[in-house]
Amino acid sequence: MREPRVEELLEHIWTYEEESSGRADKGMVSQWISADAVEAVLEDMQRQGLIYLYNSLIVLSAEGRKEAEQVVRRHRLAERLLKDVLEVGHDVMDSSACEFEHFLSEEVTTSICTLLGHPVRCPHGKLIPPGECCQRARKMLRPLVLPLSELSSGEVGKIAYIVTRHHLRLDRLSAMGLLPGTVIRLHQRQPALVIQMGETQIALDEDVATDIYVRRLS
Amino acid sequence: MLLRLIFNNPKQSKMFKRKKKGQKTKPHPSTSTVALVGNPNVGKSAIFNLLTGSYVVVSNYPGTTVEVSRGICRRIDGVVEIVDTPGVNSLIPQSEDERVARDMLLEGEKKVIQVADAKNLRRALLITTQLAEMGLPMVLDLNMWDESMERGIHVDTEGLERILGIPVVKTVATEKRGMGGLLQAVSLARRPTLKVDYGQEIEEGIGRIEAIIPDGAGKRALALMLLAGDPSLEKRIKGELPKNSLQEIHKIRDALQSRFGDPLSYIIGRRRGAFVDKLVMQVVHLVPKKAESNRILRASFFFALVPLLSFALGYKIMDLILFMVLRQFPLPGPLDLILRLISGTASCVLLSLHLYRKDLRTKRTVSEVLGDVAMHPVAAYPILIVALWLIYKLVGVFGAGVCVDFLEDKFFGQAGQPSGGFDLWVAVPFTSIEYTLTHVNFQGLNYYLGLLANKIVSTQNLAYELFLDSKAGLIQVGLTYALAIVFPIVGFFFLAFGLMEDSGYLPRLAVMLDRLFKKIGLTGKAVLPMVLGLGCGTMAVLTTRILDTKKERLISTLLLALAIPCSAQLGVISFVLGRISGLYFALYIFVIGCQLLLVGFVASKILPGARSDFLLEVPPFRLPKFSNILIKTAYRVKWFLKEAVPLFLLGTLGLFVATKLGVLKYMEMAGRPVVGLLDLPPETTEGFLLGFLRRDYGAVSIFKALESTRGGLGPDPIQLLVSLVVITLFVPCLASFFVIIKERGPIKAMLIMTFIIPYAFLVGGMLNLILRAF
Repeated sequence: MREPRVEELLEHIWTYEEESSGRADKGMVSQWISADAVEAVLEDMQRQGLIYLYNSLIVLSAEGRKEAEQVVRRHRLAERLLKDVLEVGHDVMDSSACEFEHFLSEEVTTSICTLLGHPVRCPHGKLIPPGECCQRARKMLRPLVLPLSELSSGEVGKIAYIVTRHHLRLDRLSAMGLLPGTVIRLHQRQPALVIQMGETQIALDEDVATDIYVRRLS
Repeated sequence: MLLRLIFNNPKQSKMFKRKKKGQKTKPHPSTSTVALVGNPNVGKSAIFNLLTGSYVVVSNYPGTTVEVSRGICRRIDGVVEIVDTPGVNSLIPQSEDERVARDMLLEGEKKVIQVADAKNLRRALLITTQLAEMGLPMVLDLNMWDESMERGIHVDTEGLERILGIPVVKTVATEKRGMGGLLQAVSLARRPTLKVDYGQEIEEGIGRIEAIIPDGAGKRALALMLLAGDPSLEKRIKGELPKNSLQEIHKIRDALQSRFGDPLSYIIGRRRGAFVDKLVMQVVHLVPKKAESNRILRASFFFALVPLLSFALGYKIMDLILFMVLRQFPLPGPLDLILRLISGTASCVLLSLHLYRKDLRTKRTVSEVLGDVAMHPVAAYPILIVALWLIYKLVGVFGAGVCVDFLEDKFFGQAGQPSGGFDLWVAVPFTSIEYTLTHVNFQGLNYYLGLLANKIVSTQNLAYELFLDSKAGLIQVGLTYALAIVFPIVGFFFLAFGLMEDSGYLPRLAVMLDRLFKKIGLTGKAVLPMVLGLGCGTMAVLTTRILDTKKERLISTLLLALAIPCSAQLGVISFVLGRISGLYFALYIFVIGCQLLLVGFVASKILPGARSDFLLEVPPFRLPKFSNILIKTAYRVKWFLKEAVPLFLLGTLGLFVATKLGVLKYMEMAGRPVVGLLDLPPETTEGFLLGFLRRDYGAVSIFKALESTRGGLGPDPIQLLVSLVVITLFVPCLASFFVIIKERGPIKAMLIMTFIIPYAFLVGGMLNLILRAF
């Protein structure tokens, strides 16, 4: 286990790269951790071989990237756990997840991931870096919860959750009655997805279907 | 769709004025109001028609009604006004038509009949809970009761009545069953007693908002809508609220939102869904019995109809391919027959095997199987071709060929030239045997009119020429043209369109074309305006309102104006080009199709804005009711004639004046360099000018001009193709141009025009160069 502030910084650098697809630079670090510790922490991390510094740019090393992914993974899995299983509010979820990420052991993380059915996205809609358990699960057995668009035609599933950042899309889906807990059958995949919900057939776009996660029933 | 608005509204024909929405129909002065509310495609309009005895368009396509229509029913105690509303899935509106329905409910005291699809009770109850929150006295009508029984879905109506606290009745509107019960129930309408518990936190929020908003029956509903964040509602009630209360509501909402991970509207929707699911469990009983078609019908479907039809399908498709190619490259001897047989057998084997493997042993009904095949990833395309071919036979061959010939040459005829009368005959189908019954010695309406006019004035008189001149007489050309040529073509097209609509084929077409339409910035939903555009562009531009975003509406308008030929024009063009060779017709379709895709693709990249999600309910495949299609067609044709005939007369008058004053000569001179660029003779200018009025009119005129310049040789095929492509792409007709101005505003309409005109000539010029190079 690394020091929490190192993990914190790794997480920030990684998410910054994810969001902006650019490199973080030294100037930003002070927003993330207290300003007087910046130099010491960076030096520490450089020594441990987690980052390289090029002038003011911070580049993650292979090992640093791996570590960072694990931190982000723990954070986002914690969010899913807090929201889906423990059903806490947004504020609590955010702050608790920040603490969770530092004390979850590899083993516990794996079991949370398995419990949640190897989720792909966090409640904010961002991708959760897959761990070994996810890859193994994908190979060994078909995942339990998967996007509707990956169901094959004729299969029945129960909507587990809907991940979307478009409010409008969420409202339209729920008005149609497509809510978590609803049982649907994928009628056909081509030329457009058609699902059967009760006696209603609904055609929808592939990108809407990727937002709907279902638990396979058949 | 929007067609409703056109048909029910006499004011609508004044297309020149932009009208404010919501003023379309005046409420009748009556004692009370009953509103029909419900999910899309559950039969609200059918019930409206039965209650009021008037007609609004009914079809098997979700969202056909987009406006509120009003009628009077005298069968409930006293005179009652019935209001038909667009279908909604939620009372928190997500589109224009849903907002119309919701606003109507918020206005004043009224009773509500909620029309529900009995087999989809869950979706209906989602709305019932919201109506209950509105606190309006209501009745729940479980329509399509027969379909739900067929599927083994039993609803315990008494239990439902007890839980909801309102009368629940069963009807089958298309067969007029259960209407008496519905009428009785209306007077017993009560406020529902059910109440959804949204959980402590949200209930608190509701309570706090209820304290702010003014008193009224629908307070709870209003509070929930405000919590869910409904900007259109906030604007609506802003005036009635004390100052700053809106900010306060926002504060309550934001505070509540921060306690949840998901948007409040979604949480409310989920709680409501859970409540309804429990309710459904209590009252709906599934009897494990699937709908079953008649055994003989099933057997004959699987073992006779499917193999035969699929064989005919393959045969016909090869036939079409050969028709396109064969006249240019004739095949030796029996090879073409062999090709057709091979193709027929292949399709027969493939389709039959597919169906046998999948559906023979299941107990699905024939219409369910057909409905699936119509959107099957492979089989759907041959079926589309057959559908198009049938439409072509009906509209192009029978309508544009047989009917037009008869009406134009025989019925209307020519002034000063007897038509020679016609034979009444009977033909035996599939043979060439014909029996002539009698010869009717009718020389044509215009001939008799000419004789009559000749008694008063000479043929050189201006008044005679104004009406009966063979080039630009109001009756001889304008009226005859509208009634003899356009009327049958458009009429038969609407008939075919009605068939596609009511059978449920249209939404399946939307499913098929969604991927393609995505490329041009539209969704499958745009199928309706696009296909309707093949009938009449004017009507189609009006229906673009069903599309969800501004961008989609603009793109579809542009494409309708540019590249979708209307049935009248297509009829003329297929007739003219088909006489030369099938290859040229294929080439024409290809060029226009390419323009459609190219311009759509570029427009979708250039225009700002987003494409909406494609989320369309696919209604079941049904055997259409022929009487409904006929009534619908009659309404549409009536509307069309009302729009088109005055324009024809206006155009002919303009042409007449221009000819008499000699202006036409100058216009032709001015147009000479432009048509010269396309290697066309100057006489065709007149055709392009007429194209401004009606594109089909222009096409005929160009054909005549090209024919006459070449003497007896017939028109030059390249010239003909180029000019027809240009006139198709070139300006929409006057009527649809007015509708574009009305729907999209003058600025966008002008931009569309300034793009289309040069672009049409550019494409024509390039096509000419390419064709001449070979």
